[in-house]
Amino acid sequence: MREDTQTKTLHIFRLVSRVVDLLGNFRGLAALIAVFMLGVFLTPRSYDTGLPVFLTLRTQSDVLFEYAEFGILATGMTLVILTGGIDLSVGSVLGFAATLFSLLTIGFGWSLAPALIVTILAGCFAGTVSGFLISRFRMQPFVATLAMMVAARGAAKWISGGIKVQPGAQTWYCLQSRTPEFYEWMTQKLPRVGIQPITILFIVNILIMLVIVRYTRFGRYLYAIGGNEEAARLSGISVGRVKLVAYILCGAMAALAGISNAARLDLGDPEAGFTYELDAIAAVVIGGTSLMGGRGGMFLTLVGTLIVGYINKILSVRGVEEAFRLLAKGGIIVAAVLIQQSRKE
Amino acid sequence: MRNLRGYFVFLLIAVSGLFIWSGCGKKQSFQTKKKTWVIGMSQCNLGEPWRVQMNADIRQAAKKHSEIQVIFKDAQNNTATQQAQVREFISQGVDLIIISPKEARPLTKPVAEAIDAGIPVIVLDRKVEGDKYTCFIGADNVKIGREAGKYLVRALGGKGKVVELMGLMTSTPGQERHKGFLEGIRGSKIEIIFSADCKWLEPVAQNEMKSALARFAEIDAVYAHNDPSAHGAYLAAKQEGKGREKTIKFVGIDALPHEGVRYVKEGILSATFQYPTGGEEAIEYAIKILKGEKVPKTVTLGTRIFTSANVAQGGEPL
Repeated sequence: MREDTQTKTLHIFRLVSRVVDLLGNFRGLAALIAVFMLGVFLTPRSYDTGLPVFLTLRTQSDVLFEYAEFGILATGMTLVILTGGIDLSVGSVLGFAATLFSLLTIGFGWSLAPALIVTILAGCFAGTVSGFLISRFRMQPFVATLAMMVAARGAAKWISGGIKVQPGAQTWYCLQSRTPEFYEWMTQKLPRVGIQPITILFIVNILIMLVIVRYTRFGRYLYAIGGNEEAARLSGISVGRVKLVAYILCGAMAALAGISNAARLDLGDPEAGFTYELDAIAAVVIGGTSLMGGRGGMFLTLVGTLIVGYINKILSVRGVEEAFRLLAKGGIIVAAVLIQQSRKE
Repeated sequence: MRNLRGYFVFLLIAVSGLFIWSGCGKKQSFQTKKKTWVIGMSQCNLGEPWRVQMNADIRQAAKKHSEIQVIFKDAQNNTATQQAQVREFISQGVDLIIISPKEARPLTKPVAEAIDAGIPVIVLDRKVEGDKYTCFIGADNVKIGREAGKYLVRALGGKGKVVELMGLMTSTPGQERHKGFLEGIRGSKIEIIFSADCKWLEPVAQNEMKSALARFAEIDAVYAHNDPSAHGAYLAAKQEGKGREKTIKFVGIDALPHEGVRYVKEGILSATFQYPTGGEEAIEYAIKILKGEKVPKTVTLGTRIFTSANVAQGGEPL
């Protein structure tokens, strides 16, 4: 009798793992769908439609909007991780960019275009320094970007004088009562499209990077370097230059995320982005990109960002207590990764 | 290659040296003036705006007294650094120490050492254990929470649905602001329909508020444990695009001049309650102590409420 149930359970386990195996390359999506179903069954009903809150269009667009910053960071992080590197500085560079952008627009009263350009260039500069240390001096990415993480945070506090940059925070600021219109525009749904510019920035950015990584020579070089750096070098790839470009792009995207952060909070916080690098790395890895480099891709990062966003949304909408939230998050992350890896490779 | 590396190392050391030199330059130029009394101030973490304000208040108050000078140190959220700072002040032979400790227990001993060395110590905001200090100045978070609760009872006419965006609930201020609020709304028909631990962080508060907005058609007020969280909740309602930010009453705590008080002026918050830094009072009592006058062992600071009606007059004491 007992043996009978045992063999039955065994059969069910085999069936599940066979189904998961059949999914093949869609395993990442399977994990996403599993989390999505959790959302459908576990969230309370919404007041206006009577459907589970999770199934409403607004919740879906809320998730995209709230996780756009992490998604933009994760996009840049994917480029770096594909080469077998890592960038710990993105959270601090985000904070620096948010502070710089607010200081330029609110403090000095710059118009939009020059402020955007200078902020993105500043992000590129941070990436250039990390990339230069890594490619030229063969410094380990972990160490070089750790130094940049500390220094960028210091720079953010320095330029802001240690306080949040918002209208009226200092008497010499050009704007004393309201932020420029751009801040609000970034966070309001566009009339015909129905989603916010921050969300569009995230999606367009990741789609462009998806095409670049998949269809250009630069993309193939990233994989080649991550797979076997020495072989890539011997086959004539300029390893240092490709790595440098990856870190520069990663820095630029941290700056874009910083601008989004400033718009979303309506101020520039020098502490913004604290520990965001971990969330960005988590989104990349949960998607299925290997931390060893050479395996993975942009689509997986999009999936990973959504998985993390969905988990957080479900826990938040249900109003789960903090302690159980963290415990559940840990469990679901491991389960999501296991679903992806269930086929022997 | 090697030359480049050497050049780079030289440049880095030079730049870092420059930062270290310029970072403490102000204090040194300050020190050259002859003053009667030297006060050492050890702040636990200047990463928090409220603590930046505390130092600003101390600096402002000290300016009025030409006979004192204050040396500021920032422990950068590190207990060991703060212990070292107190001991540095002792060996430096300052006349009085003001400390806003990061944690009670580990800083009790260094503070006692200062007292043994004959240096009076004023403890600000957070306590140390035992009674080996000269004077403690702090505010009452339970009272502030209670006042916020009473305000909402009045503002909502005794009933309504409230979202509570809490501070870090493993910290004492978070627990006390929650406890006080419950006392304040006791006996009324005010109901907390949604609450979340936002860890004092504005982005987290914004996301949690979005979840609350998606779930509930009726929200009458938001009680946030700090002003940035209340501001984040307001933005979440505004981003929803249904105009609910105009009907919901947002209430915050801390009332820093450039944050909460300005939000009230702008009509973003209905009210904010001051959590006083005690910086001004610290200098006031320091001078009394240095002149040999007697001071109470514990000074509890009051709070002020800021609403659109009284913000122009600088709030009202409660």
